[in-house]
Amino acid sequence: MNTGPYSDEKVQNYLQEEFIPVKSECFWDKRTEAMKQFNISWTPTLLVLDATGREHHRVVGFVPSDDFLAHLKLGKGKIHFDRFRFADAFKEFTAVIEQHPTAGVVPEAVFFLGVAEYWNTHDPKGLRRAYDTLVARFPQSEWARRAQPYAQIPM
Amino acid sequence: MAEIKWERDVQAALALAEKAHKPVYLDFWFEG
Repeated sequence: MNTGPYSDEKVQNYLQEEFIPVKSECFWDKRTEAMKQFNISWTPTLLVLDATGREHHRVVGFVPSDDFLAHLKLGKGKIHFDRFRFADAFKEFTAVIEQHPTAGVVPEAVFFLGVAEYWNTHDPKGLRRAYDTLVARFPQSEWARRAQPYAQIPM
Repeated sequence: MAEIKWERDVQAALALAEKAHKPVYLDFWFEG
């Protein structure tokens, strides 16, 4: 039975179309091989993996539907990013920001959007734009602090 | 309403992901 975000039709369709979805049951008294392989110490733990099994994104704890979709898109973006496919990463990070503007991962998506833009164009203004957006919209976020060095980049 | 077709085996899912050129979403859950 699908519960939580899995009961949302948008989530169902997105998961089924864009991912190979897997459920792995946890047993704390006898940890499974998968629990050991991925160092699982709490549930729910949600991972986005590439086809080689490499982890690119991890979520620990419950997330509601809109945040959940944002995490999935951020995870896809990170797969592209980690493989230096920055134009594709840019699209996924933009989708997080534009389609899920209230999701908790938006500041992280803004940060990585700036980095992806920089790698794609070699123009540091993308980093400065990320900093400006983070300071304006998410001044309390850790990602605004991480972007602080980009404040020195001239526009 | 669509049902999610869950795989149960990680290695089998990775093989499917390779064929389908898709990433894997892996949910570790506990029946409390």
